[in-house]
Amino acid sequence: MEEAAFSVQPFFLWMQEHPLSQFMLDYTWAQPIVQVMHLVALSIFAGSVLIVDLRLLGVGVVKTPLSKVADEAMPWMIWAIVALAITGIPSLMSLAMKQYFSPFFWWKMELLVLGLIFTFTIRRRITHTDESRLGPVWPKVAGMFSIAVWTGVAIPARLIGLFS
Amino acid sequence: MLRELFEMVEAYPSSVAIRESLNAYPILLTSHVIGMCVFAGLVMMMDFRLAGFGNKSTSITDVQGRLFTWQMVGLAVSVVTGALLAYGQPMRFYPNFYFWTKNLLIVLAGINIWYFHTKTYQTVEQWNYDPVPPFAARLAGVVSIVLWSAIIIIGRMIAYPGLVPQWWLDLGLDA
Repeated sequence: MEEAAFSVQPFFLWMQEHPLSQFMLDYTWAQPIVQVMHLVALSIFAGSVLIVDLRLLGVGVVKTPLSKVADEAMPWMIWAIVALAITGIPSLMSLAMKQYFSPFFWWKMELLVLGLIFTFTIRRRITHTDESRLGPVWPKVAGMFSIAVWTGVAIPARLIGLFS
Repeated sequence: MLRELFEMVEAYPSSVAIRESLNAYPILLTSHVIGMCVFAGLVMMMDFRLAGFGNKSTSITDVQGRLFTWQMVGLAVSVVTGALLAYGQPMRFYPNFYFWTKNLLIVLAGINIWYFHTKTYQTVEQWNYDPVPPFAARLAGVVSIVLWSAIIIIGRMIAYPGLVPQWWLDLGLDA
């Protein structure tokens, strides 16, 4: 890690020493329970994102209006994000120093922030614009970009645990 | 007999090659998770519609037919990478309680799909646009959500061979 005037390392140390981290490490079932719930939430999240992305690409449920598909997927996506955060944060805290020194963790977090911003701004705007005004190209670009970013989040996410 | 089969595969040079490769395991495992996201994610979107939980603006035949190709793409990736993961480390998975439980649950999920498509789905034209489909369809949706969630949960638990039921250890099945 480079020396910087501002460092988040004290924050990661604080997380590592937090009682919740100690509980996660002491109680044998804590880590697996959090991991399995994170994965179920991930599947629902992926489904709620993909059903809209495939519709944007013109290969999904094309008979349903785009804004309807997006609106109906939204609650599943929101609840999945909540569940991913509830399970992801204790998981991060208990291994905070490992995560801090893992390049995969930072790769995941950067793309995660990009994915969330894109999803709730540009993508949301596109899914709620009259399709005749969008033309054939932009929805496809948005769908491809969304799939690429979230795949880019999933890859390093799986690798954090494998390389320490 | 099954044990001999697993031991035989473990000795194959191709199995050894997967096992000893530095890159094969991370690539296979990551692809397995991505395949799972596409397959299970889109299956659950369809199940939510069937169960009457959501996606109600889309007809049943559309949510089934238009997502089917992509579900199969995800399934193919998961099955191929899963088979290669097992092929590379057969004796890691042979004594694993969760490995066999996961495979059993996949068979049950297959039976649910078969029953739904040969019986319940035959009358789909009568309830294709119903926001809340008939009981048999809702049941198939809920059973599917429960089974695929359980398969994901049990699949992740394969990584915790120490946290298996006591009877599995008592019967000496963990070796």
